[in-house]
Amino acid sequence: MPNGAEGKSAEQKANPAECRALTIVPAYNEAESIERVVRDLRRRAPWVDILVVNDGSRDATGPRAREAGAMVMDLPVNLGIGGAVQTGYRYAHAQDYDMAFQFDGDGQHRASQLADLARPLLAGEADLVVGSRFLQPRGMTASGVRWAGIKILSRVISVLIGQKITDPTSGFRAAGRRAIRLFAHEYPQDYPEPESLVLVHKQGLALREVPATIRRRRQGASSIQPLHGIHYMSKVLLAVVMDLLKSPVRFG
Amino acid sequence: MFLVQRIALLVAGLVLLGVTLELIRRRRLREEYAVLWICTGVMILAFVLVPRMLFAVSDWLHLNHAVLMTFLCVLFLAAILLHYSVVISKQSDHEKDLAQELALLKDEIAKLRAALKESRRTPLEPKPKPPALRT
Repeated sequence: MPNGAEGKSAEQKANPAECRALTIVPAYNEAESIERVVRDLRRRAPWVDILVVNDGSRDATGPRAREAGAMVMDLPVNLGIGGAVQTGYRYAHAQDYDMAFQFDGDGQHRASQLADLARPLLAGEADLVVGSRFLQPRGMTASGVRWAGIKILSRVISVLIGQKITDPTSGFRAAGRRAIRLFAHEYPQDYPEPESLVLVHKQGLALREVPATIRRRRQGASSIQPLHGIHYMSKVLLAVVMDLLKSPVRFG
Repeated sequence: MFLVQRIALLVAGLVLLGVTLELIRRRRLREEYAVLWICTGVMILAFVLVPRMLFAVSDWLHLNHAVLMTFLCVLFLAAILLHYSVVISKQSDHEKDLAQELALLKDEIAKLRAALKESRRTPLEPKPKPPALRT
């Protein structure tokens, strides 16, 4: 399919309600919070379909999400956040969705802000929109070391891709048709959030950040727990630099 | 090369070849790996039987032939480990793809089942009446 035709169809549907949108919720052992997340999405963003990708959880994440009314896919093994999210993109691509959101299963993201992320996509200004916690002061919650790590990472990635990025580890995102197709074919597995920014840049897709706020986590542990500043950061930087060396993805 | 050394290397080479062939016979080794190990065994035997080959190389590189042997062994092992890293990366990528496909297929089957059940029920029989309530 030619890229131009794909981009157009999303633009023409200026109203979110006319747009087929999928929200991908990766969840690993989030039985405590998944129900609230799904209900929140159904109430505040009724125009999106909800797909919970249960990443081999050992608790009742899958059944809880089904009870709450989400579509649930169960991965037979734990693939990690990258593998879980990519499962959602594969589905979005196969089902020909116009846009796909990434929304954490722990309840830190706000369903009411999905529309803010969708806007640049609908206006045809971006292929991937990232909700940034740092574009305005009110949403900032990260601790000192973590904050410093993200800051340095942001700087380096900004330089590498020649565009200012403030929150490369944010998992609150919206992808248009071209990004959905790209991620269905190729999605980074090690540090998917920052690495996918480099991938998107390399493939010549347009990236955009919009302000977003997060809630404090109530249950579960972050999938990026080893954010022990330097260690995490150096590994991510190495991965990002290797991403720059990779040859571009071609679709067969 | 001393005779003892040559005999030891000869035995090592033959054992390697023997084990490789036995593993192939029992279908426990894929051909692509079998070829690697057969070549390795043959190389060892070649060096043992025609030591001049080894000496020629060590003279050319100005290395003691023991040092050369060690050097070659390390290089060879490093190459094999690198190859295995590639294989493992490929395998884990395949495993990921399979797990994702499986999840997508399971979902599709569940949806098809539900649709089938629905289509069977609606046209054939009227909706079952709710059980009569006693008051």
